[in-house]
Amino acid sequence: MNAEELELKRASLSALASLLNLTVLPVIGFIFLLFLYKQTQAQTIGRYYAVLGIKINLAAAIALIIVTGLMLLLGGFYSPWTWVFVISYFVFVHALFILVATWILVRSWTGKKLTTTFL
Amino acid sequence: MKYESQGVAKLYFIAAIALFVGQILFGVTMGLQYVIGDFLFPEIPFNVARMVHTNLLIVWLLFGFMGSAYYLVPEEAERELFAPWLAKLMFWIFLVAGALTILSYLLVPYARLAELTMNDLLPTMGREFLEQPTITKIGIVIVALAFIFNIGMTVLTGRKTVINLVLLTGLVGLAVFFLFSFYNPDNLVMDKYFWWFVVHLWVEGVWELIMASLLAYVLIKVTGVDREVIEKWLYIIIAMALISGLVGTGHHFFWIGAPDYWQWLGSVFSALEPIPFFMMTLFAFNVVNKRRRDHPNKAAVLWALGTAVMAFLGAGVWGFLHTLAPVNYYTHGTQITAAHGHMAFYGAYVMVVLTMISYSMPIMRGQKAGNIKAQVVEMWSFWLMTISMVFITLFLTGAGIAQVYLQRYSDDPLPFMVVQEKIAIFYWLREAAGLVFLIGLILYIYSFFAKGKEVEFVEG
Ligand code: HEM
Ligand code: HEM
Ligand SMILES: [Fe+2]
Repeated sequence: MNAEELELKRASLSALASLLNLTVLPVIGFIFLLFLYKQTQAQTIGRYYAVLGIKINLAAAIALIIVTGLMLLLGGFYSPWTWVFVISYFVFVHALFILVATWILVRSWTGKKLTTTFL
Repeated sequence: MKYESQGVAKLYFIAAIALFVGQILFGVTMGLQYVIGDFLFPEIPFNVARMVHTNLLIVWLLFGFMGSAYYLVPEEAERELFAPWLAKLMFWIFLVAGALTILSYLLVPYARLAELTMNDLLPTMGREFLEQPTITKIGIVIVALAFIFNIGMTVLTGRKTVINLVLLTGLVGLAVFFLFSFYNPDNLVMDKYFWWFVVHLWVEGVWELIMASLLAYVLIKVTGVDREVIEKWLYIIIAMALISGLVGTGHHFFWIGAPDYWQWLGSVFSALEPIPFFMMTLFAFNVVNKRRRDHPNKAAVLWALGTAVMAFLGAGVWGFLHTLAPVNYYTHGTQITAAHGHMAFYGAYVMVVLTMISYSMPIMRGQKAGNIKAQVVEMWSFWLMTISMVFITLFLTGAGIAQVYLQRYSDDPLPFMVVQEKIAIFYWLREAAGLVFLIGLILYIYSFFAKGKEVEFVEG
C-alpha cells in the first residue's frame, strides 16, 4: 500500500469509527478515532476525516448528553413533560447525527472532501 | 420511453395520485375530529373516516406498485409488456372496484355492508386495513393474478435482471400473503396471527423487496452507476430484510396470548429489522456520491435520497423505538404506534412510489425531465410534505410519551379520556402539520402542469 492508499484507508476507517461511536460502539469508537487521528499526517485526506469524525462526535456528545442532561435537570425527573421532550429530542437528533455520519462515510469512500451541494 | 407499452403506467399513476388526495383529505378530517369530536358527525364518523383513510392508502400504493412494475419491467426485460390490453382492463376493474368499495364505506353502515355483500358466506370483514367486503377481496385477487401473470410472462420471456426478479418475487409475495386475509379463525389469538401474516409480512417483508428494486432501478437510471454494483447491494438488502423481517413478526405476538418465547424471538429479530433500511440509506448515498452523470431530473434524485432517509427514520428508528418487548409493554397501541405507522408508510412506500412517478412521468410525457419550474415546484412539494410528516411524527411521539406516562407508567394512572384531554395540544399541532402536508400535495399536483424553461440533457 502506498502512502496515498494508506491515507484513503485511514479516511474511510475514521468515518467508520465515527459512525460506530454514534451507534453500536460508543466510547470504543471514539478511542479508535483518536488513535487514527494520531496516525494521520497533517494536510491529508486521512487527517481531514479523522478531524471531521472527532468534531461530529464532540458535537453529538454535547447535543445528546449535555443538552439531554440539562433538560432533565431543568425539567425535573418526575415530570411527564420532561420525558416528552427528552425522548423525542434524543431519538430525532441522534438519528440525524447517524445520517450525517453515514453521508460522511460514503463521502470518504470517494476520497474527496465534503461539499455543500448534494444534487 | 423505450417501449410503448410502458405507457400504461401513466393511468395507474394518475389514479394513485387522485386516491392519495382522497386519503389526505380524510386524514385532515380525522385530525380535526380528534380535537372537535363531533365534526361532521353523523355524516362521516371517525371510524368510517379512518377506514377510508387507511384503505385509500393501501389501494393507491397498490396502484403505484403496479404502475411502477408496468413501467419498469418492460425496460428491464427489453421487450414490450406481454399483454398491454390486460393491464388496461385490470386498471379499470381495479379502479371501479376500489371506488365502489370506498363509496360503500361512506354510504352504507358497515354492518349493513357486511350483510349486503354476504359476508357470512366467507367472513373476512372487520380487520384493520383488510376491511374490504369479501367480494372486493376476491376482485383484488383476480386483479393481482392477472397483473402477476402479465408481469411474470414479460420477465420470464425477456432479459432477466436482478431488479426484475427481485421485484417479481416481492409482487408474488404481496399476492400470496394477501391470501391470509381470507382466513379468519374464531380463536382470537389465531385471528391476530393471520392478520399480521398479511400486514407485517407485507410492510416488513415482501414490500421491502419491491421498494429496494424500485429504488435500485431509479438510482441506476439517474446516476449511471454500474448495474453489478447495485445488484450486490440488492442481494444483501433483501437477504437482511427477509432474515430479520420473517421472525420479526414476533414483535406483534407479545401480548396477544401467544407463547412467551415470542417476547425473545420478536425482540431480537425485529431489533435487526432496521439493518436493511439502514443499508438502503447507505446504498442510495453511495451511488449518488459515485454517480457518473448529472441527470437533468434533479427532483427524482431528491425523491430517491429522501426515500432512503425517511424510510430509515420511520421504519428503522421509529420502529426500533418500540420494538423491544419491555418497551412495547408500555407503548403498545399508543400514539407512538401511530407516529411510527405514519412516518414508516410515508417514508418507505409513499416516497418510493413518488420517486418512480417523478422519474417516469416526464418520460411518459415525452421529456427527459420536467421543465425547470415544474421541478422547482415539485421539490417544494417534496420538502413541504416531508417536513410536515416529520412534524406529524414528532407531535404524535410527544403525545404518545405523555400518554404512556400518564396512563400507564405513573403511580396513579389516569383514565384514557382524561389523558386525551391533557394531550389535546399535540393533536392541534398534528392537524396544523397535516394541513401543511395537504398544501404540499396540492403543489405536487400543480407541478405536473407548471410551464417553464426546458432542461438540457448532457450525457456524461
Ligand atoms: C416500512 C416499513 C414499516 C411500516 C410501513 C410499518 C407500519 C406499521 C404500522 C401501520 C403499524 C401499526 C399497526 C396497527 O394498526 O396496529 C406498525 C406497528 C409496529 N411496527 Fe411497524 N412498520 C414498518 C417497519 C417496522 C420496523 C422495521 C420495526 C422494528 C424495528 C417496526 C416495529 C413495529 C412494532 C413493534 C409495531 C407494534 C406497535 C404496537 O405494539 O402498537 N415496524 N408498523
Ligand atoms: C402520506 C401520508 C399519510 C400516511 C402514509 C398515513 C398513514 C396512516 C396509517 C398507516 C394509519 C393507521 C395508523 C395505525 O394503525 O397506527 C393512519 C391513521 C390516521 N391518520 Fe394518517 N397517514 C397520512 C397522512 C395523514 C394526515 C396528513 C393526517 C392528518 C392530519 C392523518 C391523520 C390520521 C389519523 C387521525 C389517523 C387515525 C389514528 C387513530 O386511529 O388514532 N394522516 N394514517
Ligand atoms: Fe411489524
